[in-house]
Amino acid sequence: MRQVVKIIKLWLIMIHKCYKFLLKTETGILVVLLLSMIVLAVVQIIMRNFFSSGLLWVDSFVRIAVLWMALLGAMVASRKGKHITIEVFSQNLSDRMQHIIRRITDTYTAVICFVVMYYSFVFVKTEYEDAGLAFAFIPNWLCEAIIPFAFLVIGLRYMIAALFDLRHL
Amino acid sequence: MVYFLIALLVLVMLSGAPLFVVILSAAMMGFYFADIDLSIIAIELYRITETPLLLALPLFTFAGYLLSESQASERLIKLTRVFFGWMPSGLAIVSLVACAVFTAFTGASGVTIVALGALLLPALIKEGYDKKFSLGLVTSTGSLGLLLPPSIPLILYGIIVQQMDIGQNFTLTELFMAGLLPGLLMIIILAVWVAWITRHRVSEKTSFCWKQAVDAVRDAAWELPLPLFILLGIFGGFFAVSEVAAVTALYVLIVECLIYKEINLRKLIDVMSDSMQMVGGILLILAVSMAFTNYLVDAEVPLHLFEWVKENVDSRLTFLVVLNLFLLVLGAILDIFSALIIVVPLIVPVAIGYGVHPVHLGMIFLANMQIGYLTPPVGMNLFIASYRFNRPITELYQATLPFMLILLFCVIIITYVPWLSLWFLEP
Repeated sequence: MRQVVKIIKLWLIMIHKCYKFLLKTETGILVVLLLSMIVLAVVQIIMRNFFSSGLLWVDSFVRIAVLWMALLGAMVASRKGKHITIEVFSQNLSDRMQHIIRRITDTYTAVICFVVMYYSFVFVKTEYEDAGLAFAFIPNWLCEAIIPFAFLVIGLRYMIAALFDLRHL
Repeated sequence: MVYFLIALLVLVMLSGAPLFVVILSAAMMGFYFADIDLSIIAIELYRITETPLLLALPLFTFAGYLLSESQASERLIKLTRVFFGWMPSGLAIVSLVACAVFTAFTGASGVTIVALGALLLPALIKEGYDKKFSLGLVTSTGSLGLLLPPSIPLILYGIIVQQMDIGQNFTLTELFMAGLLPGLLMIIILAVWVAWITRHRVSEKTSFCWKQAVDAVRDAAWELPLPLFILLGIFGGFFAVSEVAAVTALYVLIVECLIYKEINLRKLIDVMSDSMQMVGGILLILAVSMAFTNYLVDAEVPLHLFEWVKENVDSRLTFLVVLNLFLLVLGAILDIFSALIIVVPLIVPVAIGYGVHPVHLGMIFLANMQIGYLTPPVGMNLFIASYRFNRPITELYQATLPFMLILLFCVIIITYVPWLSLWFLEP
């Protein structure tokens, strides 16, 4: 019996560590994207003005990086439910009612995110079959894949918040 | 059925569901009833990548967050104090100028109150300014400078209008140009009023001192070129706005992290994450709104809206009055970014129908929204000041009221004197 508890504990620690690692990866990608955007944009300006040339793929990369950045930022923002809301009702309600309403809106958010995830996945799938290139050797579908992925993560975070009344994932 | 769903959606929105989800639901509902495959949502979201200007948004936001996390605020106050402090009511005017500059750079996200207000409030009270007056001053100046380049809401307005298909096109540079006079007007009128109201205050006058001036300039030596570069870069026509943003971001990163060494790696990562969360939140709403607006345009909603307004509002002047009232209410319930993203696509066509230039409309819109920062229930400045200075919101209402009335007066001038915003354009 003790052995089992120990193993379960170990598993939980493992899961927790994996989750921490995922969070760090999420932030890490955000940081790398932002830095690469800044550096590449400046390099492009220097190339254009002083060497009258430019890297062909940089403009496309930067524009797609903005989309990735936006969605990654939105993913991170949903860790603590930091998205912009208009709360008019909840201010005058009891704590209990506020929690109930929050759970309902969180569930609703999760459902909508999953619906969007499904339909954008369908879109990415057709793009995969088309096999068009966005820039250099990067295919379109890969750039678009962030859309269903981001909605999956945002949806999951709101679902967990709704199920367990948690606000710190 | 449709009306029932719309009512349900409004209920969900007011209960506190994220705004992007509400707009997404509305867009999907529209496309569903129009028999359009819902995969279009992903296509519409991907349209974000077709707007190269958008790059300016994350870069300027990041630079602004970085500046507000460093000690740039202290250096800015020191500098403005040297050059404006000798005037009568010097410190109050210092507050106005410093806050306006800081807000223009950090994008009016309430950070001015946290970074500058916290330094200015005790200094003001120490120099003998009335407590209530000082509180009102630092709270209401937290959004001053919204109309000055390179403020984020200004850029956002430009981006939204540019990706619409309207007859009158303008560049972001022209929009920045338009903001100069209205922005200065607000500062000057507030400064005159502040000087008048505090004229009986007795305190020792600080005189201009060369040694201090050199000292302050040397302290801020690395940051001083920044506004110059941004203004020259944008108005000189050497760079695109997004290029200026990239250079600004890199420059601020190097200066604050490597030269002043006020931001360490850990903090830098936090700043990046925080600023991109804000950008992500805004861009997500922008992306889903673009989808929703497309549906609305297909359904000819702006056209119907214009016809409906036209039936009830007969002249340009009445339209402007109605517009002002509408925007004031809007600013009181929505934050500036959501308001811009959701409402601008709807009112631009209507305003053009009444002969209001889109650049002028932008100034009217933002000037009204600036007042929205001070009006309940969603007056962001009030909440931030209440939290930061530990004062009840009701006290802040009273303290900011006179400032709000002055700003309202400025909004009226900006609205009814289009020349202020359009002087540089050919008639």
